[in-house]
Amino acid sequence: MNILIGTVLIGGMAVWLWRQLPNTAWRQAGLKATGSTLIFTVPRMVLALLGAGFFAALLPADQVRGLLGKDSGLSGIVLATMLGPVTPGGAFVAFAVAAAALKAGASTVAALVYVTSWSLFSLTKILAYEWPIMGRSEVALRVFVSLPAPLAVALFGYFLVA
Amino acid sequence: MPRDAPDSTLNPAPRKSRWLDLPDLPPAAPPRRRLIDSGILVLAAFTLVSGSAVLWRDGLGRVLPVFGETAWFLAELAPKVVAGIFIAATLPLVLPKDRVAAWIGHDSGLRGLAIAALAGTLIPGGPMVIFLLGTGFLGAGADLGAVVAFISGWSLLSLNRTLIWEMSFLPLHLVAIRFLVSLPMPLLMGTAVRFLINGRGR
Repeated sequence: MNILIGTVLIGGMAVWLWRQLPNTAWRQAGLKATGSTLIFTVPRMVLALLGAGFFAALLPADQVRGLLGKDSGLSGIVLATMLGPVTPGGAFVAFAVAAAALKAGASTVAALVYVTSWSLFSLTKILAYEWPIMGRSEVALRVFVSLPAPLAVALFGYFLVA
Repeated sequence: MPRDAPDSTLNPAPRKSRWLDLPDLPPAAPPRRRLIDSGILVLAAFTLVSGSAVLWRDGLGRVLPVFGETAWFLAELAPKVVAGIFIAATLPLVLPKDRVAAWIGHDSGLRGLAIAALAGTLIPGGPMVIFLLGTGFLGAGADLGAVVAFISGWSLLSLNRTLIWEMSFLPLHLVAIRFLVSLPMPLLMGTAVRFLINGRGR
């Protein structure tokens, strides 16, 4: 169902953008850029989804429940925060891992914190792109002002979930 | 015989974009990215190691279903991925980069941060596109506070990623809570950066 909602919204946006392109040259440029992005993305997606599937199969459910479950408290939040940066790969891996952890018994708050921490502090993104492109002090400043975010999400998460 | 064929089909006026004021010719294509980079190698190693671990611990009977589930999931995602990638690839071509920079400069205040955060939320694309746009904005006169708001908006609120990936994997209420709680964060982070740099927020 979620997939269907997203598909309709994204599809609508794509159709709108396509209709904005004024002529054949623009449409060809758009399609060409789309083709090269697809060639770049699809192999990564296939690898990431496979890897996430294997990773989920390896997750020991009872341990996940103990470490990240409802009763894991602050230590669960700290652990979820620390797992975010070290998750390899892109968005598909992070979300698949969060989904697998939820299935294995992790709490909603732990999943929220994990996704937030990955979004802001993913080492893959920082080391491969942000550091080389933006520069060290810029990254350091951004990371510094972002540090409270996972905790804030955890606090609000407790209120809104409970 | 068609009853009411519109006259315009005989002599069509050039179609004007209603929202985007685009020149006749698109910009040159961006440079090609390397298909094999460190990112895909790390990913391949991760997949190979976890796959081997499952094979070693549980045998082939546990490995093959993962292939099947992945193939099914990919088929389900395919339409959305193709549409999303079309948007991500085409939007950078049509964005008015010079005007964007004027909106999010040093003196843009909270409004500039909000625009930057909104841009991060709406502009689809991977880290390469976003960080390159970020330095592009910096070079064109945006301040670091606005660029941090932009990057944080993308990191936390990216509509493309939320709609394509997050909602495909995670329950709707979790996605909604995360999105709502994260909504003010890019503004707070951008303000904090301006505060740290200037000694006072603007």
